[in-house]
Amino acid sequence: MLAYLIRRIGQSALVLLIVGLVAFAMFRFVGDPIDNMLGQERTQEDIDRLRGQLGLDQPFAVQYFRFLENAAQGNFGVSYRQGRPVSDILLERAPATLELAAVSGFLAIAMGIALGVFTAIRRNGFTANFIMSASLIGVSLPTFLIGILLIYIFSVELGWLPSFGRGETVRIGNWTTGFLTETGLKALVLPSITLGLYQMTLIMRLVRSEMLEVLRQDYIRFARARGLRDRVVNFRHALKNTMMPVITVIGLQLGSIIAFAIITETVFQWPGVGLLFINAIQFVDIPVMAAYLMLISVMFVGINLIVDILYFLIDPRLRADRAGAH
Amino acid sequence: MLRTIRYAAIAAALGSAAQAAEFTWAETTDPQTMDPHAVNSAPVLGFLNNVYEGLVRRGKDMSVEPALATAWEPIGAGEGWRFTLREGVTFHDGADFTAEDVLFSYQRASDEASDTRSWFAAVSEVNVVDDYTIDIMTSAPNPIFPSSIANWMIMDSGWAEANNATLPDKESGNYATLNTNGTGAFRVTAREPGLRTVLEPFDGWWGEAEHNVTRAELTPIQNPATALAALLSGDVDYINPVPIQDVARLAENPDVNVIQGIEARVIMLGFPHEADGLKYSAETTDANPFADPRVRQAVAHAVNVPAILQTIMRGNAEEVSQLVSPAMNGFSTSLADRPAYDPDQARALLAEAGYPDGFSFGLKCPNDRYLNDESVCQAVTGMLAQVGMRATLDAMPVQNYWPELRADNYDMYLLGWSPGTFDAEHPIRFLAATPNEEKKLGSWNFGGYSNARVDELLPMVQSEIDADKRQGMIDEITKILQDEVAYVPLYVQPLVWGTRSNIDLTQRPDNFFILRWVTVN
Repeated sequence: MLAYLIRRIGQSALVLLIVGLVAFAMFRFVGDPIDNMLGQERTQEDIDRLRGQLGLDQPFAVQYFRFLENAAQGNFGVSYRQGRPVSDILLERAPATLELAAVSGFLAIAMGIALGVFTAIRRNGFTANFIMSASLIGVSLPTFLIGILLIYIFSVELGWLPSFGRGETVRIGNWTTGFLTETGLKALVLPSITLGLYQMTLIMRLVRSEMLEVLRQDYIRFARARGLRDRVVNFRHALKNTMMPVITVIGLQLGSIIAFAIITETVFQWPGVGLLFINAIQFVDIPVMAAYLMLISVMFVGINLIVDILYFLIDPRLRADRAGAH
Repeated sequence: MLRTIRYAAIAAALGSAAQAAEFTWAETTDPQTMDPHAVNSAPVLGFLNNVYEGLVRRGKDMSVEPALATAWEPIGAGEGWRFTLREGVTFHDGADFTAEDVLFSYQRASDEASDTRSWFAAVSEVNVVDDYTIDIMTSAPNPIFPSSIANWMIMDSGWAEANNATLPDKESGNYATLNTNGTGAFRVTAREPGLRTVLEPFDGWWGEAEHNVTRAELTPIQNPATALAALLSGDVDYINPVPIQDVARLAENPDVNVIQGIEARVIMLGFPHEADGLKYSAETTDANPFADPRVRQAVAHAVNVPAILQTIMRGNAEEVSQLVSPAMNGFSTSLADRPAYDPDQARALLAEAGYPDGFSFGLKCPNDRYLNDESVCQAVTGMLAQVGMRATLDAMPVQNYWPELRADNYDMYLLGWSPGTFDAEHPIRFLAATPNEEKKLGSWNFGGYSNARVDELLPMVQSEIDADKRQGMIDEITKILQDEVAYVPLYVQPLVWGTRSNIDLTQRPDNFFILRWVTVN
């Protein structure tokens, strides 16, 4: 067990290091930050001086090593664009992204499971078929299009909801929340639907197919034969057994909700870390890009690591196989 | 009687309520700093013009008018300029404005750490005469000095010292990066970089308020579609820019107005004057056709600028014959005509230059810098192909573009230039003068264009006091640049702003948004 754990942690650390290396190798293709930082009236001398100052004249491997060295001490550098520590900026922007991710995650899970169960039980009904067809939209339409469409209908045409931003926020310690104001809650509606729609349809389709699978099982038939009521059969016996794979997928999707918030945040000018990252690319703000990419990869690698360990603990077959192989 | 008074009071209350107005606006770029000397870029200087003030400022028609200085006059035969300062001006924190602050702001803005130091290249020293008089001495007569410092903003010396911000810090920032203390009509009351910046009128402002704004908020919105939706839904009152392709649709909407004008920015094609061969040609690698003025002339005749303006710019831009637009000081009116679109003559010129079958080459172009820049380059590519100049277009984001130009990786390139001083001397200094690192000349002259007469005339232009003589010299330079086709100027980029229909504002050709000219009806 311990050896397995150590090996998995070692592998995760290696993945992180490689992600960072690839990221730093890519930064040079994003462009040169210098022109943004110096104005129209810069000279070649200014350019060389600033490049030396920022260490951009060094090979990327050296830049990467310096980044790691500083990051290990909790220092992610200073944003080229804003002239402020990157960690401050990230902390400032994180609440917006996390609140958006939480709301859309909740929406996706609640609606996804409810609709999935509904379409499985009434699998030949008109409404169920309609929902299934409509869910194709969620899977196939790109996020930015859904976002623009929602803005057009609910902001421009109907004028019900704000077209961009986070509304008014309330500061609690280091956290800013949009949950406590009316404009904040209104502002959450469209972006969270946009961000959660894909996950919702995914969960819904997964629940439906798992549920249909389970409903065919013998023990369900026997339960029905015993004369148990539909509600008990569907929800106590069938749904419970459906949830195992669904929970795994939900866990893995959690990370992507945060990571894929980039597009939603851009469309809605949502002031989270995703928007920050997009702006950083535009201005070749290398410290911000580096910190964001490392953060996201730490998150993904972390989630995967936890899932792996959980599997190992939960699934006795995994352990038995290993024992048998040796 | 009493009733009348009561009505009057109610009317007054209603009146003032109707006048009090909140205003929100969106721009693509957030001003990256609140420090007026740290970064010399339009989003920063444009925004800070509402907060800080200079000795002089530009009016609605770009003319120079008094601001913190009430009058100025040349000293002697052009040894410098004497500015008489406005009395009774206070900074937002209540400190008095005096000549000491001007001297301090000169030292701050001309320091190595400052991006604005090139504005003061001509200044030899600054002397405080008394609290409200200051002499700015120049090493040579400098007739356009007052108009060249309209964006030089005055900061309170005491405030800067108290907050350890006596010099700008571009790389790691300091107090002045996030906080402001100007003398302008508005003060910044909240600042969240990249999210929002809130302005409120400064009660102690020396000037007469023309606006009725009680609170204004700037939100950067990068996505043009989102900005447009925000304007249409009334979430913001003003956006800049409006995408060209949406102008016609917006113009039909009664709730919004589209305000159009031409910007100061001239879009042009540039050439590798010094290169020995073409870098991206299939066959012409040992010769540089663009070194021959006839070939460059052929390019000028081959590009159908009216067609580009009609289709890509949808009639929103104007063609131009020189490096500055007609709105700039020093425009050569006698040389206002662009070479006509004439593919036959272009072919004849190519044949004359020894390329009867044309040649292939590489055209470099940004795709996110100027309005519809990539589409313009595609059109240019097609038009040049018709006369035998077969361009391979390579369009890229601007952050990759400048390094490529600096590394001479182009056979032809697209460039836009907006003269910071609003004077024809500016592009001559940056684009036409022979590159000279020491004298800080020709720093954007990527192709290395060089003409001895232009180099000789430039310092004379810079120090000529007599306006007519000066214009004569600028005309001579313009003529040389046109005859030698140093660049092929194409058009002046349009400005397209969108507002809600209840907003009155003034669009200035430098694309600066001046909040004190806003009326919310």
